Amino acid sequence: MSSPWNIDQLDRRAFMAALAAVGAGSLLPASAEAQGADFKGRQLLSSGFGGSTMDIIQKAAFDPFDAATGAKSTQVPMQSAAALARMKAEAGNPQIDMYQFSGGQEAQAKSEGLTEPMKSVPNLANVPGGLKDPDGHWVTWAVIAEGIVYNKDKIPTPPTSYKDFFKPEYKGHIAFPAITNGFGMDFLVMLARTFGGGEDNIEPGFAALAKLKNETIFKAASDLPGLFGQGDIWIIPYDTGNAFKTAQSGLPVAFATPQEGSPAVPITSCIAKGAKNADVANGAINYLLKPEAQIAIAQGMRWSASNVNTKLPAELASEIPAVSQLAQLDRAKINANRAAWTERWNREIAR
Amino acid sequence: MTAARPVLDAPGTDGAAASSPRLIPYVPVLLFAPCFIIYAVLFIWPQLSLLATSFVDGNQWSVAHYQRFLGDGYYWELLGRTLFLGVITTVITLVLGLPVAYLLARMQSRWAGFLLVITTFPLLVSAVVRSFGWMVLFFRDGLVSKLVVALGLASPPFQLMYTMSGVVIALAQVLLPLMVLTLYGVFRSIDRDLELAAMSLGARPSLALWLVTLRLARGGILAGSLLVFSLAISTFATPSLVGGARAHVMSTAIYEQTIELLNWPFAAALSSILLVFVLVLALVYGRVLEGRGQTEARP
Repeated sequence: MSSPWNIDQLDRRAFMAALAAVGAGSLLPASAEAQGADFKGRQLLSSGFGGSTMDIIQKAAFDPFDAATGAKSTQVPMQSAAALARMKAEAGNPQIDMYQFSGGQEAQAKSEGLTEPMKSVPNLANVPGGLKDPDGHWVTWAVIAEGIVYNKDKIPTPPTSYKDFFKPEYKGHIAFPAITNGFGMDFLVMLARTFGGGEDNIEPGFAALAKLKNETIFKAASDLPGLFGQGDIWIIPYDTGNAFKTAQSGLPVAFATPQEGSPAVPITSCIAKGAKNADVANGAINYLLKPEAQIAIAQGMRWSASNVNTKLPAELASEIPAVSQLAQLDRAKINANRAAWTERWNREIAR
Repeated sequence: MTAARPVLDAPGTDGAAASSPRLIPYVPVLLFAPCFIIYAVLFIWPQLSLLATSFVDGNQWSVAHYQRFLGDGYYWELLGRTLFLGVITTVITLVLGLPVAYLLARMQSRWAGFLLVITTFPLLVSAVVRSFGWMVLFFRDGLVSKLVVALGLASPPFQLMYTMSGVVIALAQVLLPLMVLTLYGVFRSIDRDLELAAMSLGARPSLALWLVTLRLARGGILAGSLLVFSLAISTFATPSLVGGARAHVMSTAIYEQTIELLNWPFAAALSSILLVFVLVLALVYGRVLEGRGQTEARP
């Protein structure tokens, strides 16, 4: 915006010097990054969730950011687990500047020293404490509410509890995600909570899941239309966003909040340590936290907002649970047990 | 480039480079070099670092990952299921592919070229897309699953989706064109007159086919089988999409360890074990096929 010189007037040497200065962006004073907002000619590479989700987020946050700052932001489709693996593989020389996670990977990335603290992200102040890292390494910009996705035609009264998965009349029409799918892990934990256990006592979860072991197990959200369409499946533990998406494709599908609580899945962003475009990433994260962006994301995805100043339109607010109403799972404990529970799940449930 | 010039001239002095044992055969070495360098950089080196990774536990060398695999029936089951998938897919594609390839190769019609293109057409569609297609057919209300029930082959709440049988069917369809193409090339190169000669000496057509054509096509059968087998056991998309969590095979286990659990050393160990088994199987299979040919050719 307030660029001191016009690029057209520069000779080549000065241009190269300017480029070098831009390349050393992370060394610039922090204040210049936030409001300076001139990232003309700069590229930002972020991981993204792929498909229509990625397009909605691009339109909600990255496109306005690009328009305002002159940056060019590109999202590379990658599921969260794969993104963390990529982040780890590129440690020390990150090609992707910024990551988006939906499975609690940000905490692991931070503990493995793969992230760097955000700088000058004004909207960070408007995100409640539980939704951001105390050291500023990651921030939640949306929250997914998990619960029960069901076929309205087959189940006319909305399910109310995780116990409904054990109703004999649904037998043979139940599907649940594999444990490697984040929602599958949370289903296990919520079953444990439902039957007297929890993150510290997973036994009741496995015992309950063992009763469902002959039901359909799937791996990816992309199976949902097939399951509800040709699969003759009536009830699945999944989230508001996918329920909405599946319903939009014309299937009679709705979302129900179980009385045991809708687990919250934070959608976070963080910056790869040593990212060449860390300053641009900081700017983009600030845009993801803007109320306008969060409303657009809520409209397109049915994801809850994390910024306390985001006021959803009334008709939207009735469909999307507020973050304060959601159940918080102990992600650190889940991460610590992931390998052991996965191993056990593979043997006891999928076999 | 320039280094090769004096060498190219050199053999001329005494007729052949081979006559002077000290002389390195530069020409073959140079011709071989580009391929070797690419192979070394893109295959041998990564393979060695993969092998090295599989022997790391924490910060020290260890065989713990191999012990974990070898001492656990679950992983043997996984390996067995993977090899079974490879064998059954190879057999199915061979049985279905042999007649098709033979007919296409022997066909005089001007439609032959068109039919060959049709056969290979599925190769133009990515395996992921084809697997998605199968998924629609395999779900409980899908056409194929309903057909299986209607034929009385399974009782009602039945679906091929998320089963090993589904993976085998989808994979056989995905890999069949490769088998047909390989066999087609071989059948084309076998002179039809050999069959006619056998028949003129009294062999029935079926016997001529067996004694002459199939025997000469042995190399193609070996190549096609190895191609299909190695792709079937290493493929990821089809088992992952069609098989889901229940049809866990080595490739999906490697993916799970690498991507979901970030246990790269164990994933490396799984890959190395799979590689060793495939190499051994390929060698034995090649031996059997070639060995049979030699002993039968002698008398």
